Amino acid sequence: MLFNHRFTKPAHARLTCAVFVVALAAIAPYAAHAQYLHPKIISKQTTIRNIVLLPAKVEIVRDSMKGPEGMGAESEQLSARVAQLVADALAAKHITSLTVPSAPTDGDSQQKYTVADIQSRYDDLLPKITKKKKDVKKGRFSMGDEVLNLNVDKKADAIVFIRGRGQKLTSGKKAFVLLVGGMPAYLQLTIGIVDAHTGEVLLYTDSISAGDPTDPSSNRARKGITKSLKKLPAI
Amino acid sequence: MNPSSSRYLVVAFLCFCLTISICSPSFAQVTAQQPPSSGQGTQPASAKTQSPANEDFEFGKSDLELLEQVNILDRRFEREGLVLEDETTNAYLKRIGDLLVPRGLKLENVVWKFRALRDPVPNAFALPNGSIYITTGLLALVDNESEVAAVLAHELTHVMRRHSYLENRSNRKKFLTMNIIAAVGAFNPLGGAAGAAILIITTVAPFLVIATIFGYSRELEHEADLKGVELMANAEYPPEEMVKMLKLLNNDIEGEQIRLFYNDHPALQDRIKYVSAYLGGNAVPTTAAMELNRERAAYFARAEPIMRHDIQLAINAARFRSAVYLSQRLVEFHPDSSENVFLLAESYRTLGPRSPQLTDKDLTNSAKKDAAKKRAKRTPEEEERDLLATPGGQENWKTNQQKAEELYLRALQLDTPFPAAHRGLGMLYEKLERRTDAANEYEEYLELAPTAIDGERIKRRIEALRRPQNAIQSPIH
Repeated sequence: MLFNHRFTKPAHARLTCAVFVVALAAIAPYAAHAQYLHPKIISKQTTIRNIVLLPAKVEIVRDSMKGPEGMGAESEQLSARVAQLVADALAAKHITSLTVPSAPTDGDSQQKYTVADIQSRYDDLLPKITKKKKDVKKGRFSMGDEVLNLNVDKKADAIVFIRGRGQKLTSGKKAFVLLVGGMPAYLQLTIGIVDAHTGEVLLYTDSISAGDPTDPSSNRARKGITKSLKKLPAI
Repeated sequence: MNPSSSRYLVVAFLCFCLTISICSPSFAQVTAQQPPSSGQGTQPASAKTQSPANEDFEFGKSDLELLEQVNILDRRFEREGLVLEDETTNAYLKRIGDLLVPRGLKLENVVWKFRALRDPVPNAFALPNGSIYITTGLLALVDNESEVAAVLAHELTHVMRRHSYLENRSNRKKFLTMNIIAAVGAFNPLGGAAGAAILIITTVAPFLVIATIFGYSRELEHEADLKGVELMANAEYPPEEMVKMLKLLNNDIEGEQIRLFYNDHPALQDRIKYVSAYLGGNAVPTTAAMELNRERAAYFARAEPIMRHDIQLAINAARFRSAVYLSQRLVEFHPDSSENVFLLAESYRTLGPRSPQLTDKDLTNSAKKDAAKKRAKRTPEEEERDLLATPGGQENWKTNQQKAEELYLRALQLDTPFPAAHRGLGMLYEKLERRTDAANEYEEYLELAPTAIDGERIKRRIEALRRPQNAIQSPIH
């Protein structure tokens, strides 16, 4: 009796909890999106017609019972896929993605450095944006006119920065997460759209979606990106 | 046996296994590779007797997976423009590295590469595939070739002793342990004293496991420091430069807790102490080659382009005090160089309302913590604005701008004046709202450097400055 009382009651509670979580995961789209627009975009003082997509940086890891392991090759593939999905989502709003004229080539170190420096400038600003995302609406964040050093196409209105991270679970870890709890497989993406002339952050959006980020058949990333750019006015 | 007692035994057995597994990985590794004891001031016998390389190491599946990942990382550093693509620098680093690697040493899955990483934070690291990176921030900070050798020798030891693989193996075991602990904790079926004991163990154990992860890392760092000293002596580099290099890193210019070679190192003061003590018992006679290798002027002549590159990176990364410190050194070394004087001027201009050096008060632990919190919240422009609202900030701003102007003008008076000094003056005058002067300087810059990468940016600034003031539309940053 004592055994039953002590063991089955918490087990029953855990089972109920697990069923609730599974049901919630099945029913809900399980994705959160947030979008913050600069007043210039809201007031239509600035219209984004053409953009330049800088190489996306998405890092994913494989989480196993023995800890996280790198997935370098898969991260590179996913970065390219996410960049394409963002370009598609913007194309649906009739925003044209221009090629990066300064695409780093092996022989051109200076151009490679310039792109790297602009990317790292954005990376320095990103934690400040994520700390107070709402301030994008106040027009608080800017990368300065150094963005002009990129020498992108003169038609370009904005530069798009994509960052992301995620994790995939091994089958052992999946079982562990189900039984004990922990972070499930997910993909978190942030997109920053910066004025190509003044460096002002015109739009910041982040989304998180559950599920294996490396699954090419999954439509979650596409849906997440489309939803996270929903507020951006179409032309 | 009733079900309750059998369950009790199972849980007790699991707890016993956990306790063993927490203690055993680090112990096992200490036995396997015999890293020296971490006691201060004691010379570990193992450091002298061990081979420089871990010859018993055999690759396992997880090691090969790690190798594959670091090879990808290596290619990525290059592709993303993080590696300094300068043949001279890489050849120089390779020459030092080749001197340090013991002759005839062949290691499986290791191809030695020594490269500079474009990063103003003083740091260095080694990948287990033999790629050793030293940041431009560290190359600009050191005084001579021997100090570069000290950094490389430390990193070489990590590769030769297979530290990354060992640490990875150790961490995997410890993560597994932590997960088992979590599982036991979640399904603790017992009540009473036994249940409470299990609860305490499963709560405390993860912290102990994490502590062993850091502890093991520190042991490896300790070994790398001491083996590095030996490698230096064998290659005729004065090993005491290792201590000088560590002291150099202790100079906290930015008021931040500067990470050293990596995150999980022993405290710098401790490292200085144990390396000094180790050297005390292992005096190496000085040779002519050693004297040559610590010649400051020769190093500065070689590293001048890297230092210039790094100063620009430091300014871009808002490490203004480092930029002032490094460009001041460069000007002292080569005062007739227009580019060096220009960089010092740029450093003072961008320093704005900040003081060139931090005070003792700024360098207290609590002040550093406060500053780090503010840095995380404010952009450099906001920091500048806040400082300008204080009398001290205004005073600094005035002094720094005056110095910058003097230096820009000096740079333009030297032989082969550096054109960007006009751009710097333009930016300075723009801040001072001397619009015509600013536009004139910008125009002069574009005339002297028509193909400058920032040409478009400067043209737009000129347009904005030449426009009547009430017609200004876009802000200038």
